[in-house]
Amino acid sequence: MTSLLDAPTLIAICVMAATTLFNRTAGFVVMRFIPLTPRVRRILECLPGAVIVAIVAPTAAHGDLPLALGLAAALLAAKLLRSDFFAVLAAVAVTASLRFAGL
Amino acid sequence: MDAPSSSAVRFSRDAFLAGARVMVPLMPGMWLFGLAFGAASAQKGFSWLETALSSALVFAGLAQMVALEGWQAEWTVPSLLALALLTFTVNMRHLLMAASMRPWFGELPAWKSYPSLFLLADNNWAATMRYYSQGGRDAAFFVGSGSFTWVMWVLSSTAGQVIGGGLPDPKAVAIDVVVPAFFIAMLVPNWKGRREVVGWGVAALVSVAASFLVPGWWFIFIGAVSGAVAGGFSDD
Repeated sequence: MTSLLDAPTLIAICVMAATTLFNRTAGFVVMRFIPLTPRVRRILECLPGAVIVAIVAPTAAHGDLPLALGLAAALLAAKLLRSDFFAVLAAVAVTASLRFAGL
Repeated sequence: MDAPSSSAVRFSRDAFLAGARVMVPLMPGMWLFGLAFGAASAQKGFSWLETALSSALVFAGLAQMVALEGWQAEWTVPSLLALALLTFTVNMRHLLMAASMRPWFGELPAWKSYPSLFLLADNNWAATMRYYSQGGRDAAFFVGSGSFTWVMWVLSSTAGQVIGGGLPDPKAVAIDVVVPAFFIAMLVPNWKGRREVVGWGVAALVSVAASFLVPGWWFIFIGAVSGAVAGGFSDD
């Protein structure tokens, strides 16, 4: 792998690209054939929140204490200040300073 | 620009820019993660062009990072299949994210919806879902936030390949907290009532349990489907 573009690497990248494209479109295609009954609609409405929780909760559960407290700070900042920027800033400030303090 | 159509879904420049703007708080985190991936890819022997192509075509940071662990100089058919399977399971959450966009993007013509879906990534999808839940219907919001994310990802990872090492320890500067914190900010306004308590509670319990019990990346998929079904069946 010394050249600028190596054939095996390019093939592997293309395999990954095809897979991510499948991941990005398949769910959308499948839902075309599932009738959007009120029940299905409600499930789809709940899906985004559930996906986000299913990413964040295990992250917090497997992380250290500063990470969990940083996320709590983000929750508080998002609720009180209604600002994405301050939510992220609060989380980084809390987590980084607690880690710096050796927690 | 657009011919008048029967669909109520709009596509405007304002929404495109608004979408890009929402991603700005993520910039420092996105850049550090991109730089870290680029530097790691250099260690695996990627040239700058290979790193740029990987980010531009695959456009899935977590999957790209995980795949680097087992990256090889030569690929066989079985190892390529294993790579595809790894990519698929890491990115299974995108199946659900795309499904959740059906009621909205399904009203767009296919030549607009499918190219848009190429830009589906966690952060811009989460931002777009909040926009949608607050009544936004302009599809350009998704494309704007997605394009911005794509450009930043390609630039930062390529820069990381060129610079190489010498980056701050991502844990010390708390980069690992950026994306979950942003997700929480996207989630908070969606809290409306009992359905969220049930759906999110089930998603949290099942995903955490699955993350300890089921190997690999299944926990997101299992937790999210359980939560959505539970929420969808709890009538308030």
